[in-house]
Amino acid sequence: MSAVLDHHLQQLTPLGQRMVWVIAGLALAAAPHFGHVAIWTLSIAATATALRMTIEIKRWPLPPKWVNTGFAVVAFIGVLASYRTLNGIDAGTSLLIVMAGMKLMETRSVRDLTVVVFLSYFALFAALLYNQDMVLLPYALLTAGLLTMTLMRIHQTESMPIGTAAGTTAKMFLQALPLAAVLFLFFPRLPGQFWAVPAREKAVSGLSEEMSPGDVSELSLSSVIAFRVKFEGEPPPPRERYWRGPVMHMFDGRAWRNAGSSFMPQEVASSGSAYRYRISLEPQQHNWIFALDMPTEWDRRRAFRAEDFQLRARQEQIAVLTSFDLESTPTYVTTSGLRNDQRRLETYVPRNRNPRTLELARQMRERAGSDEAFIQSVLTKFGSEEYFYTLEPPVLAANAVDDFLFNTKRGFCEHFASAFTVMARSVGIPARVVTGYQGGEYNPMGDYFVVRQSDAHAWSEVWLEGRGWQRIDPTAAIAPERIERGLDAAISAEEDVPGRMLRQNAVFSQLRMAWDAANTFWNGQVVEFGENQQRWLLEKLNIKDPRWEYLGVGMILGLVGFFLILSAYLAWKFKPRSRDPVAHVYEQLCRKLAKLGVPRQPHEGPNDYVARAAQARPELATQLAEVRTVYVGLRYGPAPLPTQLSRLKFLVNQLEA
Amino acid sequence: MNLAINLDFGIARRLRQISRRWARKRHGIDPEPLTVATRRIYIIPTGMGVAFAVMLLAMFIGAMNYANNLALGLTFLLGSLALTAMHYCHRNLAGIVIRSASTEPVFAGDEATFQIALENTAPLARHELLVANDQGTSLPQLIPANGRAVFELQLPAPRRGLLTLDHFELITRHPFSLFRAWTHVHMNMTCVVYPKPAPRGLTPPPVETDTGGAQDSVRGDEEFAGMRPFHPGDSPRRIAWKAYAREQGLQVKVYAGTAVTSHVLDWDALTGLGTEARLSQLCRWIEDAHAAGRAFALRMPGLDIPANIGAGHRQRCLTALAMFEP
Repeated sequence: MSAVLDHHLQQLTPLGQRMVWVIAGLALAAAPHFGHVAIWTLSIAATATALRMTIEIKRWPLPPKWVNTGFAVVAFIGVLASYRTLNGIDAGTSLLIVMAGMKLMETRSVRDLTVVVFLSYFALFAALLYNQDMVLLPYALLTAGLLTMTLMRIHQTESMPIGTAAGTTAKMFLQALPLAAVLFLFFPRLPGQFWAVPAREKAVSGLSEEMSPGDVSELSLSSVIAFRVKFEGEPPPPRERYWRGPVMHMFDGRAWRNAGSSFMPQEVASSGSAYRYRISLEPQQHNWIFALDMPTEWDRRRAFRAEDFQLRARQEQIAVLTSFDLESTPTYVTTSGLRNDQRRLETYVPRNRNPRTLELARQMRERAGSDEAFIQSVLTKFGSEEYFYTLEPPVLAANAVDDFLFNTKRGFCEHFASAFTVMARSVGIPARVVTGYQGGEYNPMGDYFVVRQSDAHAWSEVWLEGRGWQRIDPTAAIAPERIERGLDAAISAEEDVPGRMLRQNAVFSQLRMAWDAANTFWNGQVVEFGENQQRWLLEKLNIKDPRWEYLGVGMILGLVGFFLILSAYLAWKFKPRSRDPVAHVYEQLCRKLAKLGVPRQPHEGPNDYVARAAQARPELATQLAEVRTVYVGLRYGPAPLPTQLSRLKFLVNQLEA
Repeated sequence: MNLAINLDFGIARRLRQISRRWARKRHGIDPEPLTVATRRIYIIPTGMGVAFAVMLLAMFIGAMNYANNLALGLTFLLGSLALTAMHYCHRNLAGIVIRSASTEPVFAGDEATFQIALENTAPLARHELLVANDQGTSLPQLIPANGRAVFELQLPAPRRGLLTLDHFELITRHPFSLFRAWTHVHMNMTCVVYPKPAPRGLTPPPVETDTGGAQDSVRGDEEFAGMRPFHPGDSPRRIAWKAYAREQGLQVKVYAGTAVTSHVLDWDALTGLGTEARLSQLCRWIEDAHAAGRAFALRMPGLDIPANIGAGHRQRCLTALAMFEP
């Protein structure tokens, strides 16, 4: 196979042989962009590459320059039309890939190939901007290595064997690594972006600003990770693990909508234990921090709590993995009063929709006598009557709540939360739907919780006089195991839950947890390495008052050290190896005698020279005589002994220069 | 982006001349052989190196902007790699031993080829070395570990006399062509440039026939002059096979005495011509006589070379023409 390939390669021109390697590097660098770059750009680059290779194999002439220029202009306009901007990673990457293809098309020289290699480096770099997964590290290193090896090989006049090139490249990477590590560790990180780019449009599954339970016939459960949480000390029990997300205020009879909440500070009195924890959010399209209900402490410079108690980051989008240190208390009382406009909003239901539900609620309220009793009676109704928890509910009619409560009676958390909230609102109790996550999987290897998209949940909140906003979870009434033991336990065995089999298999479960623990370590130590870790590092190095100047000095010292060590190492590697220890000692002798004023003449052999030296310095005569005998014995004697060499070394060392 | 480096625009050329003059003043005339010391190696980024740096800067800004540690790590790794490459480039020259190898004389108007032998005493190979000066560039070559290679540098030789290669550069761009390391070498290598042979036309001077056997016993083949024992290298045609058959051992027949036709090429015979024209004409006659295998003598003011034949004689006479000073 490789022999056949070799044979084919041999038939190419030297430029063609080099081009094959450059194309391989470009393909590796562009491959991670499948999926997030317009497919036509990749197709264009691939077509240009194939065309160029055909030209090379068939020895056709290259197309004239204006054809290439024309194509380049068209591609440029195409990118502009696709993205309506050249700013941002998507457009930039598309342009990069198209440019690499175009450059390959017009390649005539090693210089053009070099430009393609540079563009490939950049494409690889862009791939890392999209994705910082742990698995990408070996891939990126391999690709960078191949590109670098290719860069070296295309600049050799005679073709360099791959083994030699790969060895040299690997060695150079290893030698460059210490400096790169020092720069990585000590280079000051800047907080926030300094060049605004359009937010990336990426379909991330997860919560949205809308909720319409009647339209969903099958909830897609993705095991994509939403966030991870590490508690200081004991974690809260499962029934308290409510992770608060966007709150739905507006109801149109069928769907719920988040109204956009004002920034009014609200007061919360906590009663009971508080939990301190660190939450690491995976990238999302919003700035939502899924704090444990109810967040009481957070970094005010980085986040704020909206009027509906949703914690949000101050940046527009959490585009990269981001962590926050928070404190929450699960038992609380909100002490701020309810304004009139708020009360109007939170008690509004369209009077002309869901008439049976409104009527039922009115009757139940009359029977109950108080708001608290009414709430309890609704929950009891859900728990005692024929309501089912399922992930595959039927689609509901226009009056979705009526249809659910009186006909289908099957649904998941959103259905129950929606129905409950509508009933509460219709009798004048301020109520709203809170979406978020519930539960989470404990990873004992890393001592943290993983919360996935499949843990998404919806519950209700009602406002009661004197107690403020209180959490009411109707799902807990119908399917308490969903709250206590998670989704897998709440769904009947016949129904399909993606990944349940895997989760119940002990070995797979272990592997998954180990893998996630490794990923979490990677995320915490590498992806999120920043100012805090640098400060910690400096403290470890016993620098008490870390300032940026120290980082600068550290980097300069690192650079100087790198230069000194590398040049010394290379000088040592390139030093001519002394082939003959006897000659080496003799040279040493000559140097010493020259210092004593008797330099060796070019024509003098050892006998004459040492004799002359002995004459000039009679005090050394006996020593020199022995040196001469031993040296001549070593050089011209029948069987030189190692002891003779050490004797000679000793004698020469004894000479006082 | 490479233009500024590649093209000899005014400022670049001036800068280069200034730097070369400064290097000459700093290092003086170099001894032979010359070992390239690190302190005389200069290194700057090439156009590609500058482009690479610009790319790294863009990467750096992007990585910082997105606070992307993996991308930042790649940027730092590539930057460190470039600095490592700089050391490799520098070290690729250091310690090389430069010797001038033989240089064949040429006629004026031809290209003189200077041969420069580079010796690598290191246990590692040296890659992509080349020698160059203003007029030309040799092909890049690799010198294996503990090996040597001969580089050829061609120089136009417009006028007769001694052509001096007083300056050349030893250059390398290994490993990535991001940096160019070089050293100035001032060795004063010389090449003898013979006068350009005049066009054929002027009849050569009359021929004398001279049978001077005593003149040169080694050459000539007119008369049998005895036998001597065989040495390796003797022509088999001269072996006395009859004597061998008589079991007298391998003997070689020796002939002596010549009936050589010879010219006397005389400066004074060429009246009515200028100095250079005379030299050119003498050169032409010498070349013709040598090609025909005839002996010739050369008489010039202050110089009288007796008649002889052979490559050594030709070279002596042509060198005399080349170095002639009226």
